[in-house]
Amino acid sequence: MEIKKFILRRLLEIAIIFFVILTILFVLFRLAPGDPVARMVDPMWTPEEVEHVISQLGLDQPIWTQYLYYLKNFLSGNFGVSFHYGEPVENIIWDRLPNTILLFTTSTILAALAGVFFGKIAAWRKGRKSDTWMTISALVCHTLFVPWFALMLVWILGYKVGWFPLNGIISPEVWVNENTNFPMKALDVLHHMMLPLMTLFVVQMGSYLLLMRSSMLGTLKEDYIVTARAKGLTEKVVRNHHAARNAALPVITSIGLSLAFSINGGALTETVFTWPGIGKELVFAVGNNDYPLAQACFLLIAAVVLTANLIVDVLYAYLDPRIRY
Amino acid sequence: MNILADRIHLIERLAKGWAIFRQNLLGKIGLTLMIIFALMALASFFTPFLGPTYDPMTGVDPEISHATGPSWRHWLGTDFIGRDIFTQLLEGAKIAFMVGLSAAFISIVLGTIVGMLSGYLGGVMDTLLMRLADMIMVMPSLLILLLLAALFGQLNIWLIVLLIALLRWPGVSRIIRAQTLTLKQRPFIEAAKVAGASHLRIIFRHIMPNVLPLSFLYMTFRVTSAILVEAALAFLGFGDPSQVSWGMMLQWVWKTGHMFQAPYWLLPPGICISLLTLSFYMLGRAMDEVLDPRLRKEEHSG
Repeated sequence: MEIKKFILRRLLEIAIIFFVILTILFVLFRLAPGDPVARMVDPMWTPEEVEHVISQLGLDQPIWTQYLYYLKNFLSGNFGVSFHYGEPVENIIWDRLPNTILLFTTSTILAALAGVFFGKIAAWRKGRKSDTWMTISALVCHTLFVPWFALMLVWILGYKVGWFPLNGIISPEVWVNENTNFPMKALDVLHHMMLPLMTLFVVQMGSYLLLMRSSMLGTLKEDYIVTARAKGLTEKVVRNHHAARNAALPVITSIGLSLAFSINGGALTETVFTWPGIGKELVFAVGNNDYPLAQACFLLIAAVVLTANLIVDVLYAYLDPRIRY
Repeated sequence: MNILADRIHLIERLAKGWAIFRQNLLGKIGLTLMIIFALMALASFFTPFLGPTYDPMTGVDPEISHATGPSWRHWLGTDFIGRDIFTQLLEGAKIAFMVGLSAAFISIVLGTIVGMLSGYLGGVMDTLLMRLADMIMVMPSLLILLLLAALFGQLNIWLIVLLIALLRWPGVSRIIRAQTLTLKQRPFIEAAKVAGASHLRIIFRHIMPNVLPLSFLYMTFRVTSAILVEAALAFLGFGDPSQVSWGMMLQWVWKTGHMFQAPYWLLPPGICISLLTLSFYMLGRAMDEVLDPRLRKEEHSG
C-alpha cells in the first residue's frame, strides 16, 4: 500500500512540474522578440490557412484565452504544423520516436551493465594497476566531448576503414529493393546503428563505471562484508552477491539523474550521425526556426525525463525498503 | 591572539591537505594538465604581437587561403580560409577557462546560498527550494539552451555563462544543504544563538566557512560541465559567433566538410576540450580525497 501512495504522490508532483514547464514555455514564447503569430505561421501559407491556424491557436485572443487554447491544444495532441516538413508535428514525432528509443535504451542498458560489471572489478582491485587503468580510462570516457568523439568514430571506422555507413538509419537501396526480407532490413538498421551506439556506449559506460566503483568502495567497508567473509564464503560470492548487489542501488538512481546528461549526449550524437530521432529533430528544428516542432520535441523529452525519474524512484523504493515514505 | 591561532591552524590544514594531494596520482595529472592549458590561455594574450595574419578570427594569411597542414609558419596548419589554427587553439583555451570558471563560480555562489538557506531555515522554504532544485536538475541543459537560442536569437557569451550557471546550481545546493543540516546541530551554533546572533550572522559568519571547502570542491565539477555545454552549443552553431571557442572550431570543421581531410584541424580542439575537462575532473576527485578522510588510501608511503 505504501508503494501505491508513493507512486500516486510522485505522479502528482510530475504532473505539476510538467504543467509549470508548459506555462514557462508559453511565457517565454510570448516574451521573445518578434511577433508570436509569425512564429507559428509559415509565410508560405495561403491567407485561409493562416486564418485557420490563428483561430486554432487562439493567437488573436487576449492572453488568458490564448493560454487556455494552448493547454487545450496540448492535451488534445495538436502541436501545430511543422514549417520545414509541412506536416502535422505529431506525425513527425510518432515517426521519429521509435528511432530515438531504440538507440537510447540499447546504449543505456549496455552501458549500465558494462559499467556495473567493470566498476565492481575496479573497486575490488583498488590500488592495483588494473584499477588505476580502469579508473583513468573511465575518467577519460566520462569527460569525452561527444560530438568530437562521434566525428572521430565516423572518420576512422566509417571513412577510412569503411566498415560502417557514415550517417542515417537506413540505406535506401536495401529498403527499396523488393527482394529484401525483414531480417535483412533489421540488419541494415543495426549496421547503421553501430557507430552512434558505440559513441553513446563509451561515454555512458565511463560514468557508470565510476559510479559503481565509488559505491562499491563504500559498501566494501560495511560490517556485513566482514561477516560474509567470516562465514567462510568465497571471495567471488562476497563480491558479487553481497557487495555488488548493494552497491548497484545508487547506480540505479543515478541513471535517472544522469538522464539529463545522457540526453544532451544523445541529441548531439543523433545530430552528428543524422540519426532521425527526436534529438536530431529538435536541433534541426531550432536551426530552421521551426518553432512548433522544436517546442513539441522539447516537451516530449521533458515528459520522458520526468517519467523516467518516476520509474527510477519507484524501482529504488521497491529495492530498498528503507526509503519508502 | 585568537586570530593568530586560527591562521596557524589554517596553514597547518592546508599543508596537510597538500601533502595528501601530492600523493594522489590523479591530482598530479590533473594539475599538470591544467597548468599546461592555463599557460596556453595566457599565451593567447600575446598573440596580437605576432601580427594581424595570426589573429584567430580575422587573421587570414594572404598567401594561403585554404586549409593546409602543419608547417613552420603555421604550427597546426590553417583552416578553410587561411586562419592559423594554433592561435585559434590558444584563444579557445582562454575562452574555455573564462566560461568554465565564471559559470562555475556563479553557480556555486547561488547553490551555496540556496543550500545554506534551505538547510538552516527548513520548513516550507526548504521544501520549495529543493523542489525547484530537483526540477532544474533533471532537465537537459543543452536542450533548454537550444530552445532559448531559438527564441531569442544568437546568445552573447556572457549570457550563455549566466544561463549555464542558472541551470547548474541545484547540484551544489543539495550537498551544501546536507552539510548545513549537520552543522545546525553543533553546539557552537547554539552558543551563537544564545549570544543573540541574528540568523543572517549565523549563516554567514559560522556556517559558511565550514561549508566553503565543499563548495569549492564542487566548483571543479561545475567547470567541467560548463565547458562541455558551451562547446556543445558552439558546435551546433548556437554559440557566440564573435568568440573562437574550441566548440566553434569543431563547428567550422564539420560544417565546411573538412572533417575527413583535415585531421590537424579536427583533432586539436576536441582533444583540448576533453583533456581540459578531464584535468578539472581529476583535480576535483583528488580534492575529494583531501576533504573526505574516508576516501584516502590506507597505505601512506613516506
